[in-house]
Amino acid sequence: MTLATCNEIAVADPPDRAAAARRLSLWLGLALLATMTASLATGAAGTSLWAALGDLAQGRALSRVDETILWNIRLPRTLMGALVGAALAVSGAVMQGLFRNPLADPGLVGVSAGAGLGAISAIVLGAALPAGMMALIGAHLVPMAAFAGGWITTLVLYRVSTRGGRTSVATMLLAGIALGALAGAVSGLLVHAADDQQLRDLTFWGLGSLAGATWGKLMAAAPIILVALLGAPFLARGLNALALGEAAAGHLGIPVQRVKNLAVLAVAGATGAAVAVSGGIGFVGIVVPHLLRLASGPDHKTLLPNAALLGASLLLGADMISRTITAPAELPIGIVTAILGAPVFLWILLRRRMVVEL
Amino acid sequence: MSFVGRNIGVELGRRTILHGVDFSATAGQVTAIVGPNGSGKSTLLRALCGEVRCTGRVAINGRDTSQLKGWQLAGMRAVLPQAASLAFPFTVIEVIRLGLSAGVSVRRDHLPSRALEAVGLAGYGGRFYQELSGGEQQRVQLARVLTQVWEPVAHGAPRWLLLDEPVSSLDIGHQLMVMELMRDYAARGGGVIAVMHDLNLTAMFADAVTMVHRGEIAATGTPAKVLTDATLSRAYGCNLRVNCQPPQGGTWLLPHAATLRAG
Repeated sequence: MTLATCNEIAVADPPDRAAAARRLSLWLGLALLATMTASLATGAAGTSLWAALGDLAQGRALSRVDETILWNIRLPRTLMGALVGAALAVSGAVMQGLFRNPLADPGLVGVSAGAGLGAISAIVLGAALPAGMMALIGAHLVPMAAFAGGWITTLVLYRVSTRGGRTSVATMLLAGIALGALAGAVSGLLVHAADDQQLRDLTFWGLGSLAGATWGKLMAAAPIILVALLGAPFLARGLNALALGEAAAGHLGIPVQRVKNLAVLAVAGATGAAVAVSGGIGFVGIVVPHLLRLASGPDHKTLLPNAALLGASLLLGADMISRTITAPAELPIGIVTAILGAPVFLWILLRRRMVVEL
Repeated sequence: MSFVGRNIGVELGRRTILHGVDFSATAGQVTAIVGPNGSGKSTLLRALCGEVRCTGRVAINGRDTSQLKGWQLAGMRAVLPQAASLAFPFTVIEVIRLGLSAGVSVRRDHLPSRALEAVGLAGYGGRFYQELSGGEQQRVQLARVLTQVWEPVAHGAPRWLLLDEPVSSLDIGHQLMVMELMRDYAARGGGVIAVMHDLNLTAMFADAVTMVHRGEIAATGTPAKVLTDATLSRAYGCNLRVNCQPPQGGTWLLPHAATLRAG
């Protein structure tokens, strides 16, 4: 083609961002190992991970206290922090791909708010349940209710925004805002009816915390989160094509409706489970995918796994800050992620405005 | 082999956009769909590629499109949308590689850069799509579409380019270049169906023209047969005369007189 040959701008092959993203995966994996180790070694109690490992290596038994702190407190907390961080970051990335909007987030379409309503209902109304029933399900009531709230919100959202098997992204976003507002309003009503002890629970839960991590909660949340995390990369090709719009993705042979259904399921599952065990932890779902897109491009094939790794590391880091900065007391981790995340988010917005119309 | 629509009817809301029209295009030819604004020409293309729900039947190479899976269709035809925005900061080469995900072209790795060269954007691979001008973005999308169905004939059957106003935001040089590309694709055995706004370029490059007017087919046939004073004047609502020099003189310019420069 003549016009091509007269184009004298000799540019070398474009930098291969895919290779850079794969190298990044390696570094993020190492970083996660490091933060998990640090998380196990950090805590309000004086127990030392290294001393304990040394004892074990020499065949000495751990003291009861050290064993409890490491095995029943720090380890489930570390694993849960990693899982929740990964779940929040991947939920955000999938939702942004689905809505073709870098600002979309489970918080935005009301999934988190719905899960929050479920949890608040459980905290406030749970007191009215018969004592026998509370003894039976007490510990699991809040997580279960949060999980159910997230799912119900997603289902209602879907009923509202799907007509004839087709989901309109615009309707879904707007319906999500309305549902989020509704869930927030009902939550507010419930808070009004709460007593002092419940209010403290609500505040702590509302800002998010990993302090309640137990093996039981971990086992309840882990299967759902792991299925969502391991399934998400299979949506990568579809989400990449969706960036061109639904019609264009369809013309590329992508089963658009199926990709959308699965994406919504993955997001509802991962977000519901994460909110259930750790409350509303903000900004991870928006900030992590943004940083990764800046570093290695928007290709979901590498974005989704990298988001899981970075999300896990960041949340563990934030949790370590929340545990130690006011020790022996603890800050809700949502405060830490908001203080760290909100300025980063604003900075990203200022930078992105030049490249993408938001 | 052909691309056929029979009795295509489209309703959007309560308005009927297409009243059961017939359309046919032959492989090896450039078929243009023309008509005034709001005539239903873009809707006809979108019905043919399955983007809007329609009554009637669409068949590609003799196979009913409603019986074909999305990935099968993606190997038989590629569709260029009229305007395409992009959600995330993909680079040009990454956008074009999306065309590869339809996954049926051979010697795939070099295709994106060859397609970029074909649309006159060699060396643009590393640029961000959002930083390009509208016309450049349109050519990147064309390169993506070309990548999807690079060989005009596959397994003995022609493949199809369905293009919605492929030259609408291009300057005259690039308009000629893209029209040449379409002609070349058809000459090598593929089928090209394009919604066209520019009647001069249509007259120059189309082998067949279908004129849509108020949701009906006003005329169909060779450019000489369709682009007549009477048909044009009726469809476009003003008095038009073909092959007529401006009565007042002045400066005027036709793409017919242009030649692509070598080198």
